[in-house]
Amino acid sequence: MSQNDIKTARIFDFLTEEESEEFVRVSEPVVFAPGETIIEEGGEPSSLFVLTSGVVEVTKRVPGDGPRKLAEIDAGDGRTVVGERGLLGSSGASATVRAGSGGPVEAIKIPREAFRAMIRAGNPAAYKLATRITRLLARRLTRLDEEVVGAIRELDRRGETDLDVFRDKLVTEWTI
Amino acid sequence: MQPTLETLPLFRSLTPEERSELESLLEPASFAEGEDLITEGGPEEHLYALTSGEVEVHKEVVPGRRQHLATMRAPTVVGEMGLMTTPKATATVTAKSDTAGWRLPRAAFLEKLDAGSVAAHKVAYEIGRTIAGRMADTDEAVARIVARLDDASSDRDFEVFGDKLMRDWSF
Repeated sequence: MSQNDIKTARIFDFLTEEESEEFVRVSEPVVFAPGETIIEEGGEPSSLFVLTSGVVEVTKRVPGDGPRKLAEIDAGDGRTVVGERGLLGSSGASATVRAGSGGPVEAIKIPREAFRAMIRAGNPAAYKLATRITRLLARRLTRLDEEVVGAIRELDRRGETDLDVFRDKLVTEWTI
Repeated sequence: MQPTLETLPLFRSLTPEERSELESLLEPASFAEGEDLITEGGPEEHLYALTSGEVEVHKEVVPGRRQHLATMRAPTVVGEMGLMTTPKATATVTAKSDTAGWRLPRAAFLEKLDAGSVAAHKVAYEIGRTIAGRMADTDEAVARIVARLDDASSDRDFEVFGDKLMRDWSF
């Protein structure tokens, strides 16, 4: 594993060679033992991790229920970045990401603090990455909103009671 | 009146020079009470920087029933999502009183962004921070709705629904 591996992640593919070098310089190789936590739900806003080998498991606490498994991400597949929201956001992570039980997970970490320092210094590469993440999040948020609305419609169609209160809670702070 | 973005938080990290770079793209915009700035399902080709008046945001969450989402008072910004994703409005924004301000055309902004304008990138970054915050709230909302769907029925449809909801998660 080399820190140069981050250059192959899709999230960096729009950067010039010089720009990705700047991220290579601040990045750190990290290894997580099976079961070890990489990002913790409710914890600090996360750093960005480019997964280079292994499988991670994503879980989320669901009210009135235990942790629910959201996804399993294999570093060998297409999507190999976790923690991108933490770079921009100031709230804690909304899910837990841990190394799967099958083996260790290798990753390259771009520490949130290093990224923020680049932004404070007006670094163009950092701004380009931020714009890329913003577009990614905007697309996902739009889809997520559609799904939420779809779910509300479904509940409404099935004659769920006290739906008004529930719906009010769900669609506060819409971003247009 | 000279266009100014100075009072708006979205532009707070810009230097005066960077701000005037974007201000040169602004076009005046005004709306009479009751007029729509943005229509749900319609195009979203501008970011509006409102300097006076008040707007209301509605969404047809359940067909045939408009739900009030927010009331926003100037100085404020609407239409920022459209700058960063498919420009199709997900809610309707209506002037609650006579409203005036400036509009920033999406195409001109994206041109700046592609050309590497620091001003445009700084704005995109601020929008990203807003979206990241909103995403955290939406994630919690989705967790609640999934729990509710699980309670509501043991129906398979609901399970599929729950899985779909979880798919676009961002942490």
